[in-house]
Amino acid sequence: MIPVEFYVALSFVLFLIGGVGFLARRNVIVTLMSIEIMLNAVNLALVAFNRGMTDNHTGQIFAFFLIAAEAAEVAVGLAIVLSLFRLRRSVRTDEADLLRN
Amino acid sequence: MLLSLFPQNDFSLIAVILGMPLLGAFINGVWGKRLGKDAVRLMALSAIAISFVAALLTVSALYGAATATEAAHGGHAEHVKLSWLAWEWMHTTGGRETNVPIDLKFSVDTLSATMMLVITGVGFLIHLYASSYMEKDKAYWRFFCYLNLFIFSMLLLILGDNLPVLFVGWEGVGLCSYLLIGFWYGKTPNASAGKKAFIANRIGDFGLICAMFLLVHYTGALDWAGIENGAGSLVTTAKNTRIHLWPIGGGEFVGRLAFLQPHHPVTISAATAVGLALLLGCTGKSAQLPLYVWLPDAMAGPTPVSALIHAATMVTAGIYLVCRMSFVFVLSPFVMVLIACIGAATALFAATIALVQNDIKKVLAYSTVSQLGFMFMGVGVGAFTAGFFHVLTHAFFKACLFLGAGSVIHAMHARVHDDEKSQDMRFMGGLRKHMPYTFWTFTFATLAIIGFPLTSGFFSKDEILFRAWVNHPVSPYAERVSTLSKGHLHLYEPPTWIGPTLYFVGLAAATLTAFYMCRLLFLTFFGEFRGWTIGRPSALLGLAQSKHAGGHDAHGADAHDDDDDDHHHQEDLSTPGYAPHESPWQMTVPLMILAALSLFAGFLNPSVFKETLHLENLPLDKWLDPVFDEAAKGSVKVADNAHHIELYLTLGAFAAFAVGSYLAYWMYIQKKGEPAKQLAESAGALYRGALNKWYVDEIYEATIINGTDALADTAASFDQTVVDGIIARLTSLIVAALGTILRTVQNGVVHVYAAVMVVGIAALGFFFVVPHPDAIVTEKNGDYVLEAAPGYGYGYRWFPDATGKPLNEIFNGETKLTLHPQAGKTITAKLEVVNAFGLTRAKEFTVERPADPDKNMKLGQNP
Repeated sequence: MIPVEFYVALSFVLFLIGGVGFLARRNVIVTLMSIEIMLNAVNLALVAFNRGMTDNHTGQIFAFFLIAAEAAEVAVGLAIVLSLFRLRRSVRTDEADLLRN
Repeated sequence: MLLSLFPQNDFSLIAVILGMPLLGAFINGVWGKRLGKDAVRLMALSAIAISFVAALLTVSALYGAATATEAAHGGHAEHVKLSWLAWEWMHTTGGRETNVPIDLKFSVDTLSATMMLVITGVGFLIHLYASSYMEKDKAYWRFFCYLNLFIFSMLLLILGDNLPVLFVGWEGVGLCSYLLIGFWYGKTPNASAGKKAFIANRIGDFGLICAMFLLVHYTGALDWAGIENGAGSLVTTAKNTRIHLWPIGGGEFVGRLAFLQPHHPVTISAATAVGLALLLGCTGKSAQLPLYVWLPDAMAGPTPVSALIHAATMVTAGIYLVCRMSFVFVLSPFVMVLIACIGAATALFAATIALVQNDIKKVLAYSTVSQLGFMFMGVGVGAFTAGFFHVLTHAFFKACLFLGAGSVIHAMHARVHDDEKSQDMRFMGGLRKHMPYTFWTFTFATLAIIGFPLTSGFFSKDEILFRAWVNHPVSPYAERVSTLSKGHLHLYEPPTWIGPTLYFVGLAAATLTAFYMCRLLFLTFFGEFRGWTIGRPSALLGLAQSKHAGGHDAHGADAHDDDDDDHHHQEDLSTPGYAPHESPWQMTVPLMILAALSLFAGFLNPSVFKETLHLENLPLDKWLDPVFDEAAKGSVKVADNAHHIELYLTLGAFAAFAVGSYLAYWMYIQKKGEPAKQLAESAGALYRGALNKWYVDEIYEATIINGTDALADTAASFDQTVVDGIIARLTSLIVAALGTILRTVQNGVVHVYAAVMVVGIAALGFFFVVPHPDAIVTEKNGDYVLEAAPGYGYGYRWFPDATGKPLNEIFNGETKLTLHPQAGKTITAKLEVVNAFGLTRAKEFTVERPADPDKNMKLGQNP
């Protein structure tokens, strides 16, 4: 059986990739994808830790909830991206600064 | 019978006396406009009438109670009260931690009963008069709402059993006075006269409030009985109860300011302080020097208002208060003499102004100020009954005079339609033929005020002048204070010459009174009517003719009067106007009743004949005596030769009347006013001074009002430059600058926000990863307990000595460590904390035990 540390390490790497992607990239679609990666890194950690518990499935159930929340978030997020594109003819986040100052 | 229905200590009939005028004011105020004039009149008049009937019943009950108590005490008259507690109002804490209840309580004794009868009785007559006088006014309902409200407030003032209730009434009458002076608020002078009255009264009210504070502090009571019981503590000799005027508050000047330190500190007794504060209140309300200036201006109000508020009732509230608080005033002979001097000075001063005024109401206004001065003189020399007697008679004759003047103005107004000219005596004259009822009643009232023998004013004024000479206020505690303080403290004793001086000043004022009142009478009612000339100098020719024309409803000037004489037609006058006419019965009946009272009310207290006719028990004297009995005891020294000189002093008063009125007769009837004109020309400066009221208003304007204005301007410029200019602007600048800085952070780019979030989360994460050792040190009986602050996953390791070994090598959950340092020694302990990540941090704690614990312990604390 693969030790839990490996999963955690993978989760950490995924989260880092997602975080850096979110901070560094300017395309809204990519930003959204980065958020997805971070959330899935968390999901992976939850499931991996829960594997050690034999009589408790909270982590796995929590992961399902997260997946549902992600789906909703993506639906709303993509709608926002569409609106933004209609408004600005662009999906670059650094151009979407209507709320500045 | 009445007392079985209303017990003496729960006399709820007072509620009717008070409630009816309030009800009238409420109904007329809220629905008056829609009710119409007839309903308003019915409401207002019936409210006061019912109140008057209830007052009569109350007086009869009081008389019954007084006679019963007198009989029970073996012929000795006692101070009897009928009281009624409406509800408990509030409580406060007085001096010496006493609980001072302030209840909405009312009481009737003989003093307030007499005032009550005057207020409701004269008030009713004036209401009746006003119902006709104000007939044409659009705001009829408003007038009667205010007038009823005034009666209510005045009754509240009179019937209140303690100072706060009196103060509510005091303010209430002030408010009504303001509202009624400015009744025709459309005209600027009227509105500003109202404001002037209000502000002058506020100055006085300040004194009254201060007096209440002092009384609560010193006597621990605010109701009459309580103040009377505690009055002794106002004159105690104890050092800290005297009020230090200089140095202020009893301090001491040292060092460079030592030259300000007097040899003996200037102190006054609390009684003097209370007396002075009350006196300030009384001078404001009763229009005495230096606060009298509002009363002459108050004549801007409708004439019934002048009669009711500014002659008969409200302005006597100050004298009522002095009478009511007589037991406090007598404790301070200084204040007593001051009251008498202020009264005498005001009497003379106002009389000189009244000599030359041309406005009929202005003369009466200054006459009122002058007569109030007489009353002050009376109560100031401890002759409370005499002073109050003059209040009573003055209410009758001055109300009659004012109403008579109102009747004249009413007639003149129908003739000239000009507010100012219809009050100017230079346009009157000969009115006795046109309005006989007004003339005769006015004459009787004039006889009373100038002291024609056997009229009411003769008896009351004579009594005051006599008392002013023979009475000598002394402190009832003078000897005791002197012995108790071993001769250090001497109470003020007025000089002996003060009595004769007061008498002669009073005499001079009485002479002037006789003169100006006769002048008023002669100018108004005798000679030829000069009103034809108004606006038509050519009509001088037609002076001889003056037929009675037009009734009361001839108010409208536009109708041509074909009843008028031929001259008018010959001169081709477009608006001939009407001759003056007698007023309707609603106005003449009150005049007649008041004139009768002015003539005969003097027999209530004909003290002049007390000796010669061997009169025992003068009615008013006997009636009021129990109220002033306690106060007068030992506080007034009557001259030994009083009985012998009484006749001469009376003759002096008679001479004042004779000289003054004959002079006026000679000047205005025999010589047709020629000497007056010559005198005015030869003594031009004096004449102009008196005509312009000795420029007192201008002096006040230049000093006090301008000073206040300057202060206000300074404050305003301070507000504009410092508060608005610097403080406000600086604050806004700081906020704006901070905003500018913070605004740069919010640049709208999501990535930047995310980056900031990451930084914040990293900082928080670092904080939670590292353990934070801390402990609270508590000391008890020399044991010092260190209790470590809790945290998730923390383990603790204690080192009783920071450099030594730990108590326990392994980290555990032991959060407490107890140390026992010896006295004067210090111990340094160390705490090490490990958290879930295995990181450890340490912190040292030093406890120090004081060298000798007994020395540092507080008294009464367990060692």
